[in-house]
Amino acid sequence: MAYPYTHEKEVRVLSRGWGDPATRTLEGWKALEGYDGLAKALEMGREKVIEVVKASGLRGRGGAGFPTGVKWSFMPKEKKGVHYLCCNADESEPGTFKDRELMRWTPHQVVEGCLIAAYAIQADHVYIYCRGEFFEANQVLARAVEEAYAAGLAGKDILGSGASIEVTVHQGAGAYICGEETALMNSLEGKRGLPRIKPPFPAAVGAFEQPTTVNNVETLCAIPHIVRNGGEWYRQWGSEKSPGTKLFCVSGHVRRPGNYELPLGFPMNELIEDVCGGIPNGRKLKAVIPGGASVPIMDAEDCDGCSLDYEGVVERGSMLGCASVIVMDDSTNLVKQVRRMVDFFAHESCGQCTPCREGTTWLAQILARIEMGKGTEEDLDTLLDLGAQMTGTTICVLSDSAAVPVASSIEKFKDDYLSLIRRGEPVGAD
Amino acid sequence: MSQNGEFPDTVTLTIDGREVTVPKGTTILQAAESLGNRIPHYCYHPGMSAPAQCRLCLVEVEGAPKLSPSCVSAAQDGQVVLTESEKAKGMREGVLEFYLKNHPLDCPICDQSGECKLQDYVHEEGRKHGRSREPKRVFGRDDFGGDVLFYGDRCVMCTRCVRFMEEVAQDPLLTVVERGSRSVIDTFFEEGLTGSPYAGNVVDICPVGALVSKDFLHKARAWDLDHTPSICPNCSQGCNIDLHTRDDAVQRLKPRPNLDVNAYWMCDYGRHRYEWINRRDRLEAPVLRGEDGTRARDWPDAIEDVAARLMEAREAEKPVRAVASPHASNEDLAALRAVVESLGGGDIVYRSRRAEDEVPLPGFSQLVRRRDLTPNARGAEILGATRVGDDGATGGLEEVSTHEGVVIVLGDELSDQGASFGQDAALYLYLGSHSTPAADRADALLPVTTFAEQEGSFTNFEGRVQRFWPALRPPGAARPAWMVLGALLARVREDARRPAHVAAAFLRAGELAPEFEGLAFETIGTRGALVNDPVALSGGGS
Amino acid sequence: MSRPTRSSSSGDIPFRNPGWAGNTGEFDLSEAEVRGTEYVGRIPADGGHPGASATRPYMLEEKEPSAPLFEGPFRERFEKILTRYPEKQGALLPALGLAQELRGHISPETMAEVAEMLGLSEAYVRGVTSFYTMYNKRPVGRFLIQVCTNISCNLCGGDEVLEAFLEHTGTELGETSQDGLFTVMEVECLAACGFPTAVQINSKYFENVSVDDVPALLDHLRSEVG
Repeated sequence: MAYPYTHEKEVRVLSRGWGDPATRTLEGWKALEGYDGLAKALEMGREKVIEVVKASGLRGRGGAGFPTGVKWSFMPKEKKGVHYLCCNADESEPGTFKDRELMRWTPHQVVEGCLIAAYAIQADHVYIYCRGEFFEANQVLARAVEEAYAAGLAGKDILGSGASIEVTVHQGAGAYICGEETALMNSLEGKRGLPRIKPPFPAAVGAFEQPTTVNNVETLCAIPHIVRNGGEWYRQWGSEKSPGTKLFCVSGHVRRPGNYELPLGFPMNELIEDVCGGIPNGRKLKAVIPGGASVPIMDAEDCDGCSLDYEGVVERGSMLGCASVIVMDDSTNLVKQVRRMVDFFAHESCGQCTPCREGTTWLAQILARIEMGKGTEEDLDTLLDLGAQMTGTTICVLSDSAAVPVASSIEKFKDDYLSLIRRGEPVGAD
Repeated sequence: MSQNGEFPDTVTLTIDGREVTVPKGTTILQAAESLGNRIPHYCYHPGMSAPAQCRLCLVEVEGAPKLSPSCVSAAQDGQVVLTESEKAKGMREGVLEFYLKNHPLDCPICDQSGECKLQDYVHEEGRKHGRSREPKRVFGRDDFGGDVLFYGDRCVMCTRCVRFMEEVAQDPLLTVVERGSRSVIDTFFEEGLTGSPYAGNVVDICPVGALVSKDFLHKARAWDLDHTPSICPNCSQGCNIDLHTRDDAVQRLKPRPNLDVNAYWMCDYGRHRYEWINRRDRLEAPVLRGEDGTRARDWPDAIEDVAARLMEAREAEKPVRAVASPHASNEDLAALRAVVESLGGGDIVYRSRRAEDEVPLPGFSQLVRRRDLTPNARGAEILGATRVGDDGATGGLEEVSTHEGVVIVLGDELSDQGASFGQDAALYLYLGSHSTPAADRADALLPVTTFAEQEGSFTNFEGRVQRFWPALRPPGAARPAWMVLGALLARVREDARRPAHVAAAFLRAGELAPEFEGLAFETIGTRGALVNDPVALSGGGS
Repeated sequence: MSRPTRSSSSGDIPFRNPGWAGNTGEFDLSEAEVRGTEYVGRIPADGGHPGASATRPYMLEEKEPSAPLFEGPFRERFEKILTRYPEKQGALLPALGLAQELRGHISPETMAEVAEMLGLSEAYVRGVTSFYTMYNKRPVGRFLIQVCTNISCNLCGGDEVLEAFLEHTGTELGETSQDGLFTVMEVECLAACGFPTAVQINSKYFENVSVDDVPALLDHLRSEVG
């Protein structure tokens, strides 16, 4: 059984059951050593679980890449009130499409990861904040939660361990910003999804004002495997600082787009040329966004020889983000695509901070004007200046994110802008 | 060096090169304010939570990677804060440009012009020219109900109004609708703010011209208004206010901060009852009824004449009855009491309007629109007056109206009394501001000023003495009652001197009532001072 | 501009891609197997286990704008939702979702009713409802067609697919067709970027939709109505 495209260089850990409908069921998941990790964790004790996760070097897969074990250890050791775990399943960064696959093919992997993490941080309740549009994934996940409860894997006295963890699948309602962890918590509380000012950090004051940890779906999916096999086992892949496997979401102009689970540090050339079959129609590579719409755009030169791990991509002036690799060939009207991304950020800005509320829309307006051939070279200076004003001046980083594609594209692809400004035509227009 | 060793609950930091020591937990913004350095801000308001979203109050903190929102960042020991660094100023310039991106720049027709924080900040630190060439977003105008109009295009989305309604009024009738640049403040569709008793405060706290008062709309330019600190005359809470006046008339009332009484707020009931202060047809000259008929006199004559008649009555041992007003100041009431006592003593009564219910402000529970709708009922009672009449401030004067001795009325308009009031009196003095049939009968009609035209003090429901200042010119020859009565007293009592100023008149209250003993204008301070041994207002009608 | 093409597969459905991520011929699952149809829709109207009650399937084909909030199994579901949050307010998003499930959109009256049920102010509920794009503020067609035009889809023709949907339904963006069947909207990234263009129709994703697929897809939807 094969999921749409597989490749021999893949290391299928998290994506092992994809493509096999049987994996969705409790029996199917158990056949893949499912819930052994949970049982082992309950035996090990929670401090040990955190140690193992720390030892594995697992870094948050939601984009920021913060070490997961360290994040867990921020939670109060002495529990006073209620603790919460939020599974961030509000996947909506343009170019990212891995969490939905994890949820719809391996819902029990998600549930198991949640339960182990909740146990480690002494959470009483797990909220799986699932993106609203994912009706099917939601239902698959909800069914898995029911099965887990029925099998005594969730709820009171899990597997006779004395630990009790509730699990609730909570469906979002359409807001990209709710993928930001503090906005997610506000949304969970029935509020507008506005990011919160930090401090206080969620581990101190989180959902419903209780200590809370928010972890991405993919992060949590790695947990059962790490607990089952140990931290060292996980480090057999990837690099010292970026260990393990990662789901690479490749989209855009490649022959075989899709999700590929590869060791971190995988060479970008190989990903595009080999794993994804290269760029079709005899076109050449123009640009790559390696980590979703929020990270700087790379040109072909940056991509050449780039190692796809957290450090390697930073070295090439961008960020790995959630490894959402958007590939663009030389027919791409880059200004249009940048404008489209900025439109997105303007649409998704929560609107509380002024630089973001006004700036995202303003950038989009200028870009649209340039795209229509009505721009000036001064507009480029204004774009860069506004972008700088939007960076580091707001509560969350959506504002910074909107400025990123603008600044990086002007830096790397100024000709694309000048062509539209001077000739009213995109570069590469045939 | 840190002073932490000595004062463990304080931190010492440096702001723009000046050292300041503040209690732990003080924000950088407040610490700067204590140095007189006002960091620009919109969303922060001392009476509400701070969402830190306007991004104007960001300051540079040495060692911090990003600018810090000073409104929510607690001052740390040894911190070095720069509010005027290039980075901080550059950021403010940038943020201000964003604020103007969609602003209509309609200052010439905007009520807020002149007291607008957007205008001020842009004038001080904004770019000379905006760079936007893009079309502006248009929301237009919306009637929010009550006294509130909303001009969406001027809004800076600070959400102070939303938070006021949520946190302070605890009547969440406002919200932010939509998101991103389409965000706009709104009510629940056609449901407005009507009936929410504290909603008018949203106009005060709006830093720009987005929320404006219908009552004040296009009435006056902010820079033409004089502001005089005063006390709200419309209930016994004693909210601290400013009288905003122009052309010798009150144009609006605005709350003035006093954390012991009203914080930053006042109720709509009080706010909208100011027209009476501007009422014309005032008594402007002393009028005496004598053998030679009724005619206006100048003050020396009038005082001489009235004093003579009073001494005559005293000699004849005529009993005295007086009607006081809870709108009169402590000084006026003390002077009345002194005069009554100098004539051998007598009953003093007062009447006050009382509402059926109190109207509390849930988010600041000390502030309640009290049942007693007068500013100085407590002062009147402390100075020996007894409440009579009903809750409409009528009736209760049966004995006074037919009294055969001396009748003195201070301030009560007697509007429920007929022309027969005081017809049996041996001497009937009326000190007031308006002519009514019952007042007109008086043997001496002496024009006095209202609280808005004189300096003085009121005592609120809990016994807090608070000062107010004159905002309007007295009409004609009207004088404060304490001055008139003081002059009379000086004539009828050998040992009495006329008080040289209002502070001296206040001291007389201390001589008459132990509650006021030891209090003096100089020491009352900005938050007011509680009287000694406060007692409850009679009839539970605080 | 030419784009990567994929071979189409003939199957039990009249359009090329049934909603899984791509089909190269080696991928021999049925649509039901890919979607997990066996799983989807198994949560009963009363919400099943409380842990599952706060999700929102499209349970009902027919919406009833005046449906009561909430009765019968839906009341049970609502009560279950309430048990999952330490504060009533936490149930707001799921409650609005359930209301829309029954009524098709969130009218001011619906906001007021939900506010009443949860002890929230009407204005507050309006503010929250308006923040989230999935709450329809006015009635939509039987089929709400949301076409992704964000970058990954856009690179491969998302704009053109959106155009095609508008053309073949004869509607303007956000407007409902005369027959009440279709409302076409532009949507932000649906997180199905690998197989552009991603289109969401009611609760279902359709991936790999090309301009040429649009007429057949619409016919298929019309045939569902019968």
